[in-house]
Amino acid sequence: MRRFLFALGTAVASLVVALPGALASGHADPGVTSKLVSIGGTFPLSGPASSYAPIPAGMKAYFSYVNAGGGGKGRGVNGRQISFTYLDDGYNPAQTVALTRQLVESNHVFAIVGSLGTSQNEAIQQYLNQQKVPQLYVSTGATEWGANNKQYPWTVGWQPDYQSESAVYGRYIAANMAGAKVGVLYQNDAFGKDYIAGLEVGLGASHKSQIVATRSSEPTDTSVTNQLLDLRRAGVDTLMIAELPGQTITAYATMAKIGWKPTNIFTTNVSATSTFLPTAVRLAGAAAVDGTITTEYQKDPNDPKWANDAGMKLYRAIMAKYLPGADPSNGNYAYGMAKAYTVVQALRAAGKNLTRESLMNAALHMNDKSNPFLLPGMVTKTNGSKDAFPISQQILARWQNGGFTTFGSLFDTRPKGL
Amino acid sequence: VRSRVNSEFVGELLMRCALMLAVGLTVVFLPRAFDDYFNYRLALVGIYFISIVGLNVVTGYNGQLTLGHGAFMAFGAYATTVLTTEYGVSVYWTIPVAGLVTGVFGLLFGFPALRLSGVYLALATFGLAVSVPLVAKRASGWTGGSAGKVLPLPQSPIGSLSTNQWLSYLTWAIGACLYVAAWIVLRGRFGRAFRAVRDAPIAAVAAGLSLARIKTLAFAISAAYAGVAGALLAIAIAFVNPDTFPVSLSILLLTGAVVGGLGSLEGMLFGAVFIQFVPKWSESINNHAPTVMYGLILLGVLLVAPGGAAQVVSRLIVRLKQTFRPLYSRTSRSSPATQRSET
Repeated sequence: MRRFLFALGTAVASLVVALPGALASGHADPGVTSKLVSIGGTFPLSGPASSYAPIPAGMKAYFSYVNAGGGGKGRGVNGRQISFTYLDDGYNPAQTVALTRQLVESNHVFAIVGSLGTSQNEAIQQYLNQQKVPQLYVSTGATEWGANNKQYPWTVGWQPDYQSESAVYGRYIAANMAGAKVGVLYQNDAFGKDYIAGLEVGLGASHKSQIVATRSSEPTDTSVTNQLLDLRRAGVDTLMIAELPGQTITAYATMAKIGWKPTNIFTTNVSATSTFLPTAVRLAGAAAVDGTITTEYQKDPNDPKWANDAGMKLYRAIMAKYLPGADPSNGNYAYGMAKAYTVVQALRAAGKNLTRESLMNAALHMNDKSNPFLLPGMVTKTNGSKDAFPISQQILARWQNGGFTTFGSLFDTRPKGL
Repeated sequence: VRSRVNSEFVGELLMRCALMLAVGLTVVFLPRAFDDYFNYRLALVGIYFISIVGLNVVTGYNGQLTLGHGAFMAFGAYATTVLTTEYGVSVYWTIPVAGLVTGVFGLLFGFPALRLSGVYLALATFGLAVSVPLVAKRASGWTGGSAGKVLPLPQSPIGSLSTNQWLSYLTWAIGACLYVAAWIVLRGRFGRAFRAVRDAPIAAVAAGLSLARIKTLAFAISAAYAGVAGALLAIAIAFVNPDTFPVSLSILLLTGAVVGGLGSLEGMLFGAVFIQFVPKWSESINNHAPTVMYGLILLGVLLVAPGGAAQVVSRLIVRLKQTFRPLYSRTSRSSPATQRSET
């Protein structure tokens, strides 16, 4: 009996402690006041994709710049300071779910912005759309973000979509490499599979049979040796790599080790950047990496041709002021800043009376040519659920002598009829 | 004698129900007092409570050390996921099914595994904890691989409740029922058999008990509880992937059960709170703090109070009794005496 009384006592005591904490809820959307807008996202600060950790730091640096009056339209956006909270999900979708719920339900953020990873964003998409919380400018180029906007109107992507990028490679192969035997090494999720789908489109019905083998890996795998041996055995001479930076570098190092150099290598633009490929060169030697083809859409901070570019000067100034000690040659900071620029544009366009709905409306009706961190001539453009692909221009680039050189011209790969 | 036993049973049953009612009341009022995220975490506490009540049946009452409880939760969670996403079954119906299926899985696993004992059984179950997530990664047709599967987040059928409040009520209602059920099983014939097998296996066999049968039964019950907990976890998070059930989950569950008090069902309340809040709290101190923290707490518990929180509480009650009994007994004894002298 006494045990019972004790339990009852504990229960009552906890009630008494708990009740004063009662919260009153207002009517406006959470996370926004006349002085502040609070946004958040999840990023892999640790784990298999931790090389992307600079992205949220770059975003935050740009928000700090805008909060201090940068961009020339007063402090913050429409009088509101931007508060950006980012949490480490270790590239584990289960963590993404837990932390996103924490951001929405405990931190009461106004919108989830820039969360990174395809499976990670898939894991939270239904929840955020059910709760009508914007899932803004996800840091993944999976085609579904733009293609499924009717079903998930609270989600919008940002960068060029993977299927379109891969279709560019497919068309290039069909036009310039007749008889190539194509193999794909891809991450076993929607990110990796987009590249196979796009490649088939680009090659066209008559050339689809040129894909002789595809092999996948899990993000947590530490080796891709068996996959590469399989691809070599299948007679692949044109390899496409659709993997995270870590796996991509491992793939180059493994190819050098097993003495295999495919004639052509196409590598996803999420990994083939001047930030990651030098590591591949260090581990695998320049010969293994040279000739790699990818696409670009943002200004590469390592490219000397932007030395006197106003956008890149601004980038370096913001880096020096808000991220002293960080390495501005790491293009992930630039990616974060370019994205933050679009976020600020959307917040500005959403107006004084900022609601979750007005933000989505602004993000889905955008036509902006001013992003200083993207390549000249780039347009960030959306048109409701008819076209929910904000950035869709890109240019081919080839890795040679320790850097990328673009070739051909900027072209629009906006998916048509999706 | 018979009626005395019965009235004792009814009395104690009422007490247990009342304990759960008290917990229930707390759960009913707490969600209204805190923000919505707290409700979500409260639901998770309820899920861990169910899970370690089951763990306690096999480890606390039957004396079998298992390190694979998280794997059984995974099994239940995937049962719910597959039934909901592939066959369109309502999430609520999947809860008993997940419990049943996982119980049968536990039974089947128990047959060969329970020929092992002590550290060997621990290793076998540990193997289960390691392999289930790996199998789930490969069987991506059903499980979605590492990318996982998204479930529909249940909407509260009661309009005034938020989803998280509803989840919290749901898990605690099921938790209360399963707690009372566990208590009924453990206080009766089976519970006696479980404890006999734990404390004196040879004597138990001499008394006509089948060790294998009793152990397998305990294992199956425990697995069924984990299955229900796993199903509820899948429903509450609305997402399942192999990394939801890392090996460390099984260890965390065991830690929670030990800290709560092996052999005490009420202690599992404390254990569940421990599992939900201590890792988060210690993570806020340092990224690597949780593992160190479990180690320290576990050591501390084993040294100071091997019976866990339940033991600490009962010790406290004994101490209180000792403090207040002299007072109480003096007045009760002296009053008739004074009365007598007066008259």
